[in-house]
Amino acid sequence: MNSNNNTIDKSTLRKTFFRSIPMEHSWNYERMMNLGYCFAMIPALKKIYGGNKDELSKSLTRHLEFYNTTPYVVTLPLCISIAMEENRAKDIDKFDTESINMVKTALMGPIAGIGDSFYWGTLRVLATGIGTSLATQGNILGPILFLLIFNIPNFGIRYWLTFFGYRLGTSVLQKIESSGIMEKITYAASVIGLSVAGAMTAEMVNVNIGGRIGKGDDATTFQDILNGIIPGLLPLGLTFLVIYLLKKKMKPLPLLIIMMFVCIVLAYFKILVLPK
Amino acid sequence: MIIKTILLYLVATLAPLDQFFGTSMIGRAIIVGPLTGLIMGDLHTGIVIGATMELAFIGSVSIGASDPPDMASGTILGTAFAIQAGAGPEVALAAGLPIATIMLGINTLAWGFFPAIIMHRADKYALEGDTKGIGRTMFLAGFAPILATTWIIPAAFYFGNKTIVQLIDVIPKFVITGMDIAAGVIPAIGFAMLINMIMNKKVAVFFFFGFFVVQYFKISTIGVAIFSVMLAIVLTQIIYGKNNKGETQIGASEGHKTSTIEGVDFDEF
Repeated sequence: MNSNNNTIDKSTLRKTFFRSIPMEHSWNYERMMNLGYCFAMIPALKKIYGGNKDELSKSLTRHLEFYNTTPYVVTLPLCISIAMEENRAKDIDKFDTESINMVKTALMGPIAGIGDSFYWGTLRVLATGIGTSLATQGNILGPILFLLIFNIPNFGIRYWLTFFGYRLGTSVLQKIESSGIMEKITYAASVIGLSVAGAMTAEMVNVNIGGRIGKGDDATTFQDILNGIIPGLLPLGLTFLVIYLLKKKMKPLPLLIIMMFVCIVLAYFKILVLPK
Repeated sequence: MIIKTILLYLVATLAPLDQFFGTSMIGRAIIVGPLTGLIMGDLHTGIVIGATMELAFIGSVSIGASDPPDMASGTILGTAFAIQAGAGPEVALAAGLPIATIMLGINTLAWGFFPAIIMHRADKYALEGDTKGIGRTMFLAGFAPILATTWIIPAAFYFGNKTIVQLIDVIPKFVITGMDIAAGVIPAIGFAMLINMIMNKKVAVFFFFGFFVVQYFKISTIGVAIFSVMLAIVLTQIIYGKNNKGETQIGASEGHKTSTIEGVDFDEF
């Protein structure tokens, strides 16, 4: 329906592909791939919100939120995000902006699950097997084949997913629009997005207290006792403490520095320990 | 010797740039081994040592990319020393291991500290709508830990392994352990910001659903995603199933059905 006034062209998508390459360069503990994701979104966002500096700035902030997935397939969520942003710009007031990050979040778990096992588990093992069998004999083809076996799928699939993701995003959004089930889809995306966010919080936020009661084999650690009551109480409590502090207008940077400092001090006194 | 040291610095810097070049595996032992061999004037031995180290470190893959260069450091230094001594892979492994171990700690500190701190500049640039500033921050966030760490490998080659290991050993162990612990604590900030943005009262419960399913049943995120897709289908049917007369008026009920299925497919992807 609206395909005539699409602002995103092939060259913008190609730029997105090239900008997705350093996705993990700025990987950080706090929001992981967020900066790489935002960096890759820039050409598209400039095109979509070019004249509107306020909306451009808001969209940049939106895509600086936490993100983490397999880097080789990141162009899929990237270009779905682009399709959604483009759709939003057509009717800013009507579009549910929350749904953009919701869909992004819902996608990161499943994509990482499939992507990690394919790239790290299968492709890398295959490339290493063939590469090392030649290289142990001193054959220069070993390292060359190693790079080719891994990187032809790496860049090939990454490139293909750029266009596939965008087409998927636009076609699904158009169908949703014409059938008037936007509200329903937004709700479903929220259910999946928040479940995935919860699952990833449980997986990635780790707090383990040290100390034990009793001696020798009978000793029970405090952490075991806590896990016996409700597992994950500390990471959950910590996450909600941070939510509270952010709502009290505390800035993330001081929070980050305090956390690093406190962790080092608590590690010295062995109050916090690494998980076993 | 000086030219070799400088060239080794370049290889040591190229290895962690793996992430910059599409996480393309250029920092693996099987690649940096031959490059080091080329610098040291014995490509053949470099290839063999690289392959041996690759197999020795095959399990060392860090999903999330915070500590890969240690294997590279060990391979570069090990290969350089082995070729210099006219020895084989066993010597390389023995000479590379101390630096690989010590670099793991150094990397934990540098990659934990610099990108997370520098990354916050992007928030400011986003508010100003300064896309070039975001680009600069992206480059800097990744280059800062590289600049802070990769000089150690050529220094160890030039001054000897022992001198450098002793120099670095002054960093107390609890500082590195503390940073390792922080790696599990700091993501709470990222998730808190994400939750602040996407959570509303209507669906807040599903965050806890995802969290405790993982805590109690130890299933993967993809597992949670599959269950939540089913949950989402059932719930949308209950909530929107009866009172969507508007939709059935638009098309035949069959048309409506297909569009629902396609919508769900999209979420599942």
